[in-house]
Amino acid sequence: MRDKDLETKLRLVTLQLENWKKLHDLITYGLDKAKPIISTEQEHQFTEIRGNLLQEIEYVFRELNMVAEVSGKAMSVLQRGVSVRGVRDLSNEEVRRLETDWNGVFTKLGLMQGHLKARRKDLAEQTAFSYYLNRLLQRPATAR
Amino acid sequence: METRLLALNADPVFQDRALAILDQIESLETQIVRNLSEAVQALLEENFDGLLIEGDAALAVDQATNLRQHFPSLTIACLLQGGRRSDISLRAKEQNIELLSGARSDRRLGATLTRFVRSLDTQAGAASEGIDPCHSLIGNLNQFSAAEILQMSCLSQRSGRFTFKSGRGNSEIYLQQGSVRHAVFGSVEGEAAVAEIFRWRQGRFYFEEGIISQEQTVNRPWAHLLIDNLQKLDETLELVSV
Repeated sequence: MRDKDLETKLRLVTLQLENWKKLHDLITYGLDKAKPIISTEQEHQFTEIRGNLLQEIEYVFRELNMVAEVSGKAMSVLQRGVSVRGVRDLSNEEVRRLETDWNGVFTKLGLMQGHLKARRKDLAEQTAFSYYLNRLLQRPATAR
Repeated sequence: METRLLALNADPVFQDRALAILDQIESLETQIVRNLSEAVQALLEENFDGLLIEGDAALAVDQATNLRQHFPSLTIACLLQGGRRSDISLRAKEQNIELLSGARSDRRLGATLTRFVRSLDTQAGAASEGIDPCHSLIGNLNQFSAAEILQMSCLSQRSGRFTFKSGRGNSEIYLQQGSVRHAVFGSVEGEAAVAEIFRWRQGRFYFEEGIISQEQTVNRPWAHLLIDNLQKLDETLELVSV
């Protein structure tokens, strides 16, 4: 069986991870001094991804109950990385902070995705009847 | 076997009504992309049974028409927000694009989407295994592209049947003395079928010497087909972002 809430969370976390990966690809490109040319298309893509993340992170992290854990780090990445060219001009210390914060967000989201996939796998092995029966039987006893 | 659907939705986090319904359909795997270039990239890299484009009617049909030029055999549907105009319906019909109405109750939308998903052909062709003595040439498309092997066969004035087998299905191209005479992939025939096979990066092929088709659906010389299709492939790749 499929759980609606679980599927929604999994979809949200997958979309977030995709965007964070793409952002990282562009940040890595920006930091690579061996690649001097930054195209307008790359800048456009960076702005698009950053825009999507800015409008979605608060909602998505709240849905995933991760606001306290990753919201600060996510905002730190998005505020430091304003453009591909802007990333190239950051100081070494700021680059280090940017990468640490990105890694923090990515790790948490990856863990959450794994957790949700494991729950989905468990659910897929159950029928709706056995799921509700288990829930009923596993209810903690209440004192009278 | 799971049905694989590619969903093109510019705002999948906040405009997720249809996506939430698709999540609930058993044995369906949905991949979400946000723009046309991501869709092209996904379609080039992986096999999908269908594409669902969500959004404003005019924009969705524009995107679908664009993608139809590059993926002639793909099942494409547009889930329209708002009403549909007659000119849009006409364009969609010309391009073999299904229009689904999104302005309904969740239950009716669920029924519409389920019907669409079920209509997708899930009978992906399994690659043939083993070597048949009548196959004079056998290989993998990840080592030789369809363009390369067809070029080689046409230059050597071969006559016979090429069969291509991939996750997308099976297709056949018939050669007669170095010219493509007939091509078929599912319901697609002629040059559109040749164009489809040009995009395949994975799969197996074999050639059977001497099998000639009675039908003739391709009339242009091989060189023209090759140039046109390679140009089309370049245009497809141009749609993919950096």
